[in-house]
Amino acid sequence: MTVDESNVILKMTGITKRFPGTLALDKVQLTCERGKVHVLLGENGAGKSTLMKIISGEYQRDEGTVWFNGREVNFTNVRQAMAAGISMIHQELSLLPERTIAQNIYLGHEPEKEGFKGIVDQKKMVTDSKALMDSLGLDMDPQTSVKKLSIAQQQMVEVVKALSQEVRLVIMDEPTSSLTSREINKLFEIVERLKQNGTAIIYISHRMDEIKRIGDSITVMRDGQYIDTVSAAEADLDTLITMMVGRKIQKMYERNYREPGKVIFETDNLCGLRFRDVNIKVREGEIVSLSGLIGAGRTEFAKAVFGIDPIDAGCFKLYGRQINRIDPTNAIKYSMCLLPEDRKKEGLVLQTPIKENLTAACLKKTFKMGILRNKPENEIGEKYVRELRVATPNADKIVGELSGGNQQKVVIGKWLETGCKFLIFDEPTRGIDVGAKCEIYILLDSLVHQGYGILLITSELNEVIGISDRVYVMKDGEITGELTRDELSQDRIMRYAVGEGEVV
Amino acid sequence: MVEKSINKNVPEILCSINRFINKVNIPGIAIGDALLIVFFSIMSDRFLSSYNLLSILRNSCTLMIAAVGLTWVILMSQNNVSVGAVVSMAAVMVPILNNKGLPMGIVLVMPMLMGLLVGFINGFLIAKMKFDYWVVTFGTMSLMTGLALVVANGETISTTSKFLNFIGNGKFAGIYIIIWLTAILVSIMLLIQRKTKFGYNIYSIGGSENVAAISGINVVDTRIKVHMISGLLAAIAGMATACMNVAGSPTVGNDYSFNAMAAVVLGGTAFAGGKGGIIGTVFGTLMLRILASGLSMMDIDSTWQKAIIGLVIVTLIVADVLNDQRKAVKGSRRIYRDVI
Repeated sequence: MTVDESNVILKMTGITKRFPGTLALDKVQLTCERGKVHVLLGENGAGKSTLMKIISGEYQRDEGTVWFNGREVNFTNVRQAMAAGISMIHQELSLLPERTIAQNIYLGHEPEKEGFKGIVDQKKMVTDSKALMDSLGLDMDPQTSVKKLSIAQQQMVEVVKALSQEVRLVIMDEPTSSLTSREINKLFEIVERLKQNGTAIIYISHRMDEIKRIGDSITVMRDGQYIDTVSAAEADLDTLITMMVGRKIQKMYERNYREPGKVIFETDNLCGLRFRDVNIKVREGEIVSLSGLIGAGRTEFAKAVFGIDPIDAGCFKLYGRQINRIDPTNAIKYSMCLLPEDRKKEGLVLQTPIKENLTAACLKKTFKMGILRNKPENEIGEKYVRELRVATPNADKIVGELSGGNQQKVVIGKWLETGCKFLIFDEPTRGIDVGAKCEIYILLDSLVHQGYGILLITSELNEVIGISDRVYVMKDGEITGELTRDELSQDRIMRYAVGEGEVV
Repeated sequence: MVEKSINKNVPEILCSINRFINKVNIPGIAIGDALLIVFFSIMSDRFLSSYNLLSILRNSCTLMIAAVGLTWVILMSQNNVSVGAVVSMAAVMVPILNNKGLPMGIVLVMPMLMGLLVGFINGFLIAKMKFDYWVVTFGTMSLMTGLALVVANGETISTTSKFLNFIGNGKFAGIYIIIWLTAILVSIMLLIQRKTKFGYNIYSIGGSENVAAISGINVVDTRIKVHMISGLLAAIAGMATACMNVAGSPTVGNDYSFNAMAAVVLGGTAFAGGKGGIIGTVFGTLMLRILASGLSMMDIDSTWQKAIIGLVIVTLIVADVLNDQRKAVKGSRRIYRDVI
């Protein structure tokens, strides 16, 4: 791709960022021009957000150079980046619900009364925000408090907030994920206007139609690395998807497939917070994956099924029992359990020994008369340490001292001990090393052979393809596709996940 | 639209009162105060007199000053339990320094510096060094409670000073000087809260520290300043008690931390931060004092009074939390419908 050097506003080269244990960015480059929309594309965890946070001053780079507006810069905090004219529209809303629209728009840079430093000019703030919103075609009273707005309206306030000071570069991180089509059109009008004024825009999105509509150039990232930059007009979907997923399937694990048994879990038009009309089933002896991009509504679905979040409509069947309302206590009684996304916060008591964690979910069953005794506790501890091959000398070791993979095994053991047969795993292999992942996969395989049914939520495509019997793909809260084992490929899943499934 | 249709049927005076209430954001607790006054006036014929109402106001002053200082700390979703200890320390410092024959300027400035210093230590350890605010303020609480007892030798120290006596017990235009002083202090704080960037930043930090930080607000700086102001106002409250008694007791502030917290929370400032403010605290303090005065006039035993006041506090807070939860549930429903 050719770049007009005189028009370049941002140039990043060789950007490297390390977090403890991982290399988040590896010599990434990015060049943005004035008046152009530069799309950043990549799978979950490709490093897009990290790169953006480096531009906006939230993170500091470890290596590399950043040129902005003709000089080398090194922003150490958000204020400096803002002063230079960089503003970011965050994916998760960064508004204060208790404050008014005007107060949120000018958050941190309220206009001051002339001659009085530090005194906020409230009148000016209100009229300015009104004028700003009018110019962007938004009809809202700046003195309404933000909590009264809908999510879509809040997202638009977020846009106004980003444009409320002089901007040279706007970063939009999936700005349309909670907008309705009417508002999306409005947002694109705003983007057009910004382009005409010579503002550069970095646009992160997975929606191909949007990218085609407003993008000028596209940079693809994968696993913290820069892959390529192409012109949006020339790029076609196939090449982009190939660049995003790469060709990197390795066989890390061997599944022994078996014929699944009867249906144990089946949803009937289940609706809840951020998902709707979900119809899926899981059979005995089957690993079913729920795939999709982060924010597609998968975790919310799992939480609703387990009774943490409410179910709004529809119902599901579990071992033949029809369920409309559920809470976690009953879920366990009905033989279902959820292995949470964040094992350290929601799955384990880190500072207690392994054996205590293992019995934590079924104290009543293990200990008669409600009195804790050492013998059953030790027996259970030893049993799972042996069976799940937890790398520890004994079951008395403190869980927090184990590695991530072994911690995850303890969580699994804890739920197996409850006797539940339908297991929902939410990102079971996040943040654990390859060897341990492999062992978890072997464990899952052996579980389905014992007649367990597993619903697996994972963001790693490799994992989905490697161990699933069947895959449902979710996008924006809806199931967009179902793939059997023979049909599985990274391309197909990605197509359903970004909403181009019909093209296959 | 709604307001206009009301206008036709309601006398103009009520409308203007309504507009005024909306404009100055008087919280619901003010209505509670008014109801309590009515209730006690019916229950006791001694309650409703200008003398008694004035003395309720006067008794509210020291707590109000300390509670107003605490409001901002709670508003940014932290807490400060060292308020009472600073009150005690300031209260004994005034007579001790005065008895040493130091000039009045020094007698008045030293306790304030002490308050600022304690506040700075709190703020620095909490905001800069990232210690837990409970641990830090418990620490300074113990420290100052102990020091106050040490410097006062465990006794109430009296002094003689026409000036201090005048500040504490004198009147101007028929109203106690101390009430005027409190009114001025509260007004200044209110202006800062409503009109300055600093005030805005307190709300932003309380609403979400992360949002404040990514919006370019200097969170550490603001937090330290707020703790210093809390310390300063606690010290001023202690000095005020010393003036009113023309003596200082090292245990005078013992109840202040809890009572100030109660006043703040009654006034609608949530422990979660980000909403509420000083006006609410003013009415919250008044409610505590109205209750105390009214219950005494109904000849209710002072031990029972504490229990009843506690019950009122818990009831109001539970009602507030339930109300908020109901709103939150409604809100999430609405948001959900909107997205899908």
